[in-house]
Amino acid sequence: MSEATFQIPVGPQHPALKEAPENFMFNIDGETVVDVKARIGYNHRGIEKAAESRSYIQNLYLVERVCGICSIAHVTTYAQAVEEALNLEIPPRAKYIRTIIYELNRIASHYLWLGLAGHEIGFDTLFMYLWRDREIALNILEQITGNRVTYAAFAIGGVRRDISPQMVKNAKDGLNILEERMKYYKKLCLNEPTVLKRAVGVGVLKPQDAIALCAVGPTLRASGVKSDVRADDPYLVYDEVPFSVVTYDGCDVASRVLVRCDETLVSIGIINYALDHLPEGPVRVKAPRLVPPAEVVSRSEAPRGELIHYLKSNGTDKPERLKIRSPTLGNIPSICKFLVGGFVADIPIALASADPCFTCTDRMAFVNVSNGKRWVWTHEQLRRYSLKWHQQS
Amino acid sequence: MASTAQKPTGETVEIEENLKEKLGPKILELKVPRNRRIFVSVEKTAFREVAEYLTKNLEFKHISTITGRDAVGQTEVIYHLNRRGVELSLKVQVPAEEATLPTITDLIPGAVLYEREVHDLLGVDFKDHPDLSPLILPDDWPKGVYPLKKEWTVEKIRQKFAGSEEK
Repeated sequence: MSEATFQIPVGPQHPALKEAPENFMFNIDGETVVDVKARIGYNHRGIEKAAESRSYIQNLYLVERVCGICSIAHVTTYAQAVEEALNLEIPPRAKYIRTIIYELNRIASHYLWLGLAGHEIGFDTLFMYLWRDREIALNILEQITGNRVTYAAFAIGGVRRDISPQMVKNAKDGLNILEERMKYYKKLCLNEPTVLKRAVGVGVLKPQDAIALCAVGPTLRASGVKSDVRADDPYLVYDEVPFSVVTYDGCDVASRVLVRCDETLVSIGIINYALDHLPEGPVRVKAPRLVPPAEVVSRSEAPRGELIHYLKSNGTDKPERLKIRSPTLGNIPSICKFLVGGFVADIPIALASADPCFTCTDRMAFVNVSNGKRWVWTHEQLRRYSLKWHQQS
Repeated sequence: MASTAQKPTGETVEIEENLKEKLGPKILELKVPRNRRIFVSVEKTAFREVAEYLTKNLEFKHISTITGRDAVGQTEVIYHLNRRGVELSLKVQVPAEEATLPTITDLIPGAVLYEREVHDLLGVDFKDHPDLSPLILPDDWPKGVYPLKKEWTVEKIRQKFAGSEEK
């Protein structure tokens, strides 16, 4: 490191908004980031350990709490792992309902993210509009599952609530509005200088780096790599529903915005198809409480990317081992890579562009290595600095 | 049908045949429970060679994660590798008392955090890993306490910290 290099610890936490605070140690040279190191674990809750002392049914609700935003991804992945260990086939109608809830969750997550991205670049109007519209997705979810965030909608062996014809109609009405709005937001993102100036060419992750660092989800697909668990390793009814895998090759924040805009539209298509082709029949089969010894790898495409659960059962009603890897951990090496070479003022939006579960890195300390001078910024102050810096340049 | 009863076909079978032919005696156990799922167990001595073969020759470039598991006296490390949707779990057991394995971060740079996680929670030492500093556990976490080991029950960990919490 040269004498002109500064170290900036960013983080660790603001656990209120999202559940995984992290710390990033930035080395900066003037305005440019030259090195990034991540430190996680500030909110490690020992869920994998806890799962070993809880029954399979209790764990259904435990894994739902791994992530507040994409809770359904964890429940789906866990439930299908247990069902595979039990060699239990769930009814087709249950699979369709699970798919519908999964994709609604993705829409809510992408709407939330796009709003936050708007906030990070000082475009709070966009934030307000998106979070207003996101309510439509949450209302549909509430009508189907009874809950807005942690849905408690699934059981081992199916789903707990059926979808009525009235719900189908209401969902379709809501989806029409969501589709129309997202098309408008996509057009806006493609044309609005406020977005383009802050997003194009920022946080570049080349395809070869994305592959080597094992990036997942929209972060990977925005680097032009066509990889989606729904298409590559279909689960639920993704082998029956027609859909396309969205990729953009800009490799920057703008591409990550567009990937999520288009994915939202694809999700709306999937849900509409599933609602139209909802098979008749039961939504749940009875599942035994004891799971015979087996080991299962279960994967799904969560809103943030590939999610994997590894389950080892031992014949009792509790797992021997449940390993969970959520997509954000998979993307941290890539985040560290694409922040290097960027400006300090672009840290908030670049960091947010991978949609990590820790965008709200609240407190930042700036250390001048050569004279030991130290000052602390909150995330809000860094955001303001970033906005001011971009206004002046 | 989708999740449970998928018979292995196409790419999965090709990989299975290839592994039998090329690695034959080095494999302790080879299981293909369903399409796109392969489990391969190897001895510690053969691990690095098999990992190289999988990543270089069979193009398993993506690592989904690494699972560590306490297996009574042994620590089992499972590398979940992926190639276009086929998930291959490479399993290797090392003695819990002397848990060392060569790193695979030179083969797959994306494995860097997963190895640190297993190092934190189960004490597996990955030789030649660039940085095995704590990732999940606090910097002042006591040495020798590996939370995912079965001997470290929640009560035992609580007792261990009973004194320090009162300060």
